[in-house]
Amino acid sequence: MRSRQLSYLILVTAVTAYASVAEARTVIQNKGSDTLVNVAQAWAEEYRKVDPDVAVAVSGGGSGTGIAAMINGTVDIANASRKMKDKEIKLANERGQSPVEHIVGYDALAVFIHQDNPLNEVTIEQLAEVYGEDGKFENWADLGIEVPGCKDQTMVLVSRQNNSGTYAYFRQAVLGKARDYKLGTRDMHGSKDVVDLVEKTPCAIGYSGLAYATDHIKMPCVSKADGESCVIPTVATASDGSYPIARPLLMYTNGEPQGAIKAYMDWILSDVGQCIIQQKGYAPIRSVTCN
Amino acid sequence: MFAVTELNQRDKKVQGLCRILFMIMTGLLILPVVLILATLIYKGGSIISADFLFSEPTDGMTAGGIFPALYGTIWLVAVALLISVPLGVAAAVYLSEYAGDNWFTRVINLAIINLAGVPSIVHALFGVGAFVLFFGLGTSILAASLTLAIMTLPVVIVATRESLQAVPHAFREACWNMGATRWQTIRRVVLPNAVSGILTGVILEVSRTTGETAPIMFTGAAFFLPFLPESVFDQTMALSLHLYVVATQVPGVPDELPYGVALVLIAIVLIMNSLSIAFRMWLRGRKKW
Repeated sequence: MRSRQLSYLILVTAVTAYASVAEARTVIQNKGSDTLVNVAQAWAEEYRKVDPDVAVAVSGGGSGTGIAAMINGTVDIANASRKMKDKEIKLANERGQSPVEHIVGYDALAVFIHQDNPLNEVTIEQLAEVYGEDGKFENWADLGIEVPGCKDQTMVLVSRQNNSGTYAYFRQAVLGKARDYKLGTRDMHGSKDVVDLVEKTPCAIGYSGLAYATDHIKMPCVSKADGESCVIPTVATASDGSYPIARPLLMYTNGEPQGAIKAYMDWILSDVGQCIIQQKGYAPIRSVTCN
Repeated sequence: MFAVTELNQRDKKVQGLCRILFMIMTGLLILPVVLILATLIYKGGSIISADFLFSEPTDGMTAGGIFPALYGTIWLVAVALLISVPLGVAAAVYLSEYAGDNWFTRVINLAIINLAGVPSIVHALFGVGAFVLFFGLGTSILAASLTLAIMTLPVVIVATRESLQAVPHAFREACWNMGATRWQTIRRVVLPNAVSGILTGVILEVSRTTGETAPIMFTGAAFFLPFLPESVFDQTMALSLHLYVVATQVPGVPDELPYGVALVLIAIVLIMNSLSIAFRMWLRGRKKW
């Protein structure tokens, strides 16, 4: 019996001792946007080879989650696919944080439809009638097409949950700030879920980052208004700003980055880092040549 | 003497129908378990290998293995057990062996019941507020395991208390009559006889902690971590969160990968359960009453 008590004591001591002697390693906390999370993961995975003493811990949760963590001071770098609101920056300042914005890439929001859908071109105005509150378009016939495999030709609107940066940006870019989304949209948690659902549903229309496109889904060409020439969502059209629904991808640091965080941010903005973001299907901040 | 009346026959028929109906319903109970396991093995079985279990994820988590997540889950469960078992058993011993039936114990019992009913996401948010922010533990294994421990504490307490109360009172009286103190009685007579029941509580706790995602998502588990945790103050990856991530967040993941992760998760729980059940049966076999 004595020995059992002793072994328990040893176990507890060992855990505590282990905890206190753990080697000094710099950990950068990186949290936020689900859009950026896969790029952030790829950067973290690759950066290990650049500097083995620095480890980047990546978490998702949405732009709102990252910004909240920045306000609370629990992250070093917050990922966001939308800008911090003035209210949020004020709140962060009150808590002693001073968020500094860095543009690390661009994301084109593609409109996704089933691959059998004959729609080739769509205008922002039409999209607003499809997604916006009191929008007139309910059926595919309203866009002048008939979708094979879609029983009653009613559009199935696929959207995102409301703390998503994608949700906020699409609303701002397509509906306008004042207008709300139509009721009855399917709100998915994650861009991949949107693509998965649209792939399987002939009646569906959805939106998400271009990086989530697959070979089994169709992306119509988007134009600003009727009569204007439409632009196909690609990395190139997002970088040069010609695609109408493209947004900057942001990372926020607390104050100007220093030390390990500065080295990491510099590496992300270098050609190597920018090639990784391009590889993931997003647009780099400048044109880079990658092998 | 008794002629079979029409009423008798109808009763008999109804009884027979009920029996069959309830048997079918019981059969339906195992159906989900069998279907889940079969689907997972069918779709994910092919990916399971020593390499899958013991290597790191690569290529943006679309290839490679799950070792950091597996390792992290073991850490989280072990630390949670280390916290909740001593605490839960001590509380149960006090409630069952020392405390009388007064307003204080009644309040505690009510608290335990309520604690068991709190949804896991609420525990998660409590964990963020209390451990991550207030106590300044940051997102770490310790914060996550404390959250898990608090969540599973009622399970341990209730199981322990019930197994303590299952030890016949005469055992204690006999011991006290020999001049033993309460603690000596608990230590030498009550606890050894109740250990199999306590173990049931621990099994339930392990199963639940292994699978929980919400409480660790904000308190200690990371989407991706390029290193293995080395202390309780590190963050970690975890199997349950990893499953959520590869199933819903990462594009281009091969189909068998999420199924493989789910299979490993279920296998851990099943293996732990069977080991503990075997151990419990062995202990029961040694019982002298």
